[in-house]
Amino acid sequence: MKRHSKAFAFAVALSAVATTVSAADLTVGVRGGPESMDPHYSALGSQADAVKHIFDPLVWTGDDLQLEPGLAVSWKPVDEDTWEFKLREGVKFHDGSDFTAEDVKFSIERIPSVTGPTTTEIYVRRVSEVEIVDDHTLNIHTNGPAATLPYDFVRLFIVSADAAKDYSTSETSAEGFNSGKAAIGTGPFKYASWSPKGDLVLERFDDYWRGPAPWETVVRKEISDDASRLAALKAGDVDVINYVSSADYLALDSDPNIATFIGDSVYVMNLQLDQREETPKVRAKDGSALAENPLRDPRVREAIDLAIDRETMVEIVLEGLGKPANQMMPEGFFGYSDDIPTPEYDVDKAKALLAEAGYPDGFQIDLYCTNDRLPGDGAICEGLGQMFAQIGIDTNVNAISKTVYFPTQARKEYSVFMNGWGTLTGEASYTLGSLAHSPNDEVKMGAFNRIEYKNDEVDRLLQAGAQELDADKRKALFEEAMEKTMADRAYISIVVLQSVWAGDKDKVVVTPRADEETLAYYIKPAK
Amino acid sequence: MSSFLLKRLLQGVVIMAAMSVIVFAGVYAIGNPLDVLIPPEATQDVRERTIARFGLDKSLVEQYFLFISNLLKGDLGLSYIYNEPVLSLIGNRLPATLELVLTAVLGATLIGVPLGIYAGYKPHGFAARAIMAISILGFSVPTFWVGLILILTFAVSLGWLPSGGRGETVEFLGIEWSVLTLNGWSHLVLPAINLALFKLAIMVRLARAGTREVMLSDTVKFARAAGLSEMTILSRHVLKLISIPIVTVFGLELASTLAFAVVTETIFSWPGVGKLIIDSIKNLDRPVMVAYLILTAGLFVTINLCVDIAYALLDPRLRRGRAE
Repeated sequence: MKRHSKAFAFAVALSAVATTVSAADLTVGVRGGPESMDPHYSALGSQADAVKHIFDPLVWTGDDLQLEPGLAVSWKPVDEDTWEFKLREGVKFHDGSDFTAEDVKFSIERIPSVTGPTTTEIYVRRVSEVEIVDDHTLNIHTNGPAATLPYDFVRLFIVSADAAKDYSTSETSAEGFNSGKAAIGTGPFKYASWSPKGDLVLERFDDYWRGPAPWETVVRKEISDDASRLAALKAGDVDVINYVSSADYLALDSDPNIATFIGDSVYVMNLQLDQREETPKVRAKDGSALAENPLRDPRVREAIDLAIDRETMVEIVLEGLGKPANQMMPEGFFGYSDDIPTPEYDVDKAKALLAEAGYPDGFQIDLYCTNDRLPGDGAICEGLGQMFAQIGIDTNVNAISKTVYFPTQARKEYSVFMNGWGTLTGEASYTLGSLAHSPNDEVKMGAFNRIEYKNDEVDRLLQAGAQELDADKRKALFEEAMEKTMADRAYISIVVLQSVWAGDKDKVVVTPRADEETLAYYIKPAK
Repeated sequence: MSSFLLKRLLQGVVIMAAMSVIVFAGVYAIGNPLDVLIPPEATQDVRERTIARFGLDKSLVEQYFLFISNLLKGDLGLSYIYNEPVLSLIGNRLPATLELVLTAVLGATLIGVPLGIYAGYKPHGFAARAIMAISILGFSVPTFWVGLILILTFAVSLGWLPSGGRGETVEFLGIEWSVLTLNGWSHLVLPAINLALFKLAIMVRLARAGTREVMLSDTVKFARAAGLSEMTILSRHVLKLISIPIVTVFGLELASTLAFAVVTETIFSWPGVGKLIIDSIKNLDRPVMVAYLILTAGLFVTINLCVDIAYALLDPRLRRGRAE
């Protein structure tokens, strides 16, 4: 039965593609596809990117990740640990039923029983109880004050309680959603067909509450190889592609049929310096052990910072597709501080500082980075190795697969390492809470602080920020925490990455989104 | 013949058991998949709950025996990434790989062997030299580069063929095949050529070397003395005599291509198992990695068994030698 319906849907989809390719159809080549049609299965970016066509999140985020009304039209804290959400009226699901508070409650409560290892429980971790006040009002009770609750809900997708009620255990959810039976959302497109790693075919939903989409049929093809994705665009097999590599971007400039669209991403490359008393991958130049971990000396950390030529990194290594970074978030995000100075590049001063710290001849480090996660990560790593060598720190560069990098990093086996960090929620508690707070199970912060960085003042500011419900006061607390963290230089931010889309110049106009989603509803037909 | 088969089957079972231990321990050693999969904001309690739900808090030995006991029930588990049964995930993509690989390997053999025999038959002719020169290219040019050049030439510049993906399919015996439609072939041609080039070169060289050797043998001299035509000698005697190494290589190439057509599948976005496995490795999708590697071991064992049977059929000496 299942195979039959899938085969049928596939045939329908194929005939749709084969017979009605017209100006109203859009074919998108994406680097990564979804993992499941159950929006609550995975918190991965490529998953959210795909299911956002079918399901709406409770709270919407604009192109720069600012919060905007979505299915929820307004929200406010009513007391210490309760938020009130007002829901939009007149919203329809794809099966014609009305969207109500019941669907929101159902969606929140089904998450723990259906989510996979990339757990979406993170979106509802602060929720203790969902109370329905009326059809379009909810009181959400939290475990303690949860100042950032609306940010948690930007990827909380709402499914239909009716359609999904029989498909809400981990055994049944894939069957119900991947066959389309339960894949009923309020989003701009209806589900037509999909199989893992295969094409996702979507049909326009005419009763979408923001108004119908400009495209009748949307096909999202998963083409993971960068060169193949670009070739598919050039051959006219797809209309839009995401994640154009920096090398290809230069070549595309001369192509008269293709337009490129560049946007800042949420990803910042951060160098991380182990702050433990003993660190495994730092030693004297002759290979012997050092008396103490030099990375604990602020002068050494400053020297490392001064050795990094960020301009060159952007111009040469990233072909211009990035910006020098002075903190762990891109400009304009909630908690970004304007008072952090632009980092200097000064080799002589760096050498002097090293000498002052007692390392006139430098020392030797192993530098570890990912090489397959974000554009340019491996190349930046190589660049850093050369720059450190300039000030006398011999660097063995290890740009490796994220598959090996992250588990080893989690075991704290690295001393100096670099990977990208994306502030996916657009606000600082996400980033600073995970990285800058000292590891602490009690307050549930510092989970990704793999260098055991600890500054009591930063800890205090972050804890205060997490409880502060007044947005302006919270912003000031996070800005101060950011300034103090960056001044310590245990985390050294190097570049903000940019992301490039390319499309058929005569057919589409793409507005870049900071979260790098490629949403067909917002891809406009070219005039 | 039957005791020979039985022995081979038993060997196969032992190899499979050993492989399961090696694969499981190897995959375990890479690290905890959750370190790659779990999102940064996960708090300690969310993390612990997730680890427990996937049984990752158990010891290696416990996890292994759980896996084996499920395996014997025919259950290879659910993919961490897709939450679908691993068997159906691999099974749904296998036909795509199968038709691509069979087209490539059969094509390479059917074209390569006659070319090789010809090159061995007239080793000093112009055509033979040309064949050998081209076969060197097949060896030495990297697959991914050839793939990109094929796409750039036939899809981007000339626009004759699609740049990637699989074409329309038709259901036959309950499985979707694209070799049965014209549109399917238009998608299949480029990746099949890409995959076949290396194998074609091997087949040409093997057939040529074998033919040159056999042409000097007494068999051929006697056949000529008996007045058989050159065509008959080549197709009936020479072909049979050179076929044992060719069958061996055919089997090995078929198995390794089925298992690891990764590069071609990635470049042409071919929805086969190669892409699935490479992505599952990137994401540490343990159930898929383990199941796939064990299935691959099974595939090699089976194909080698078939090759052994083919030897026995081709060479009566082998049959008699082992039957007693």
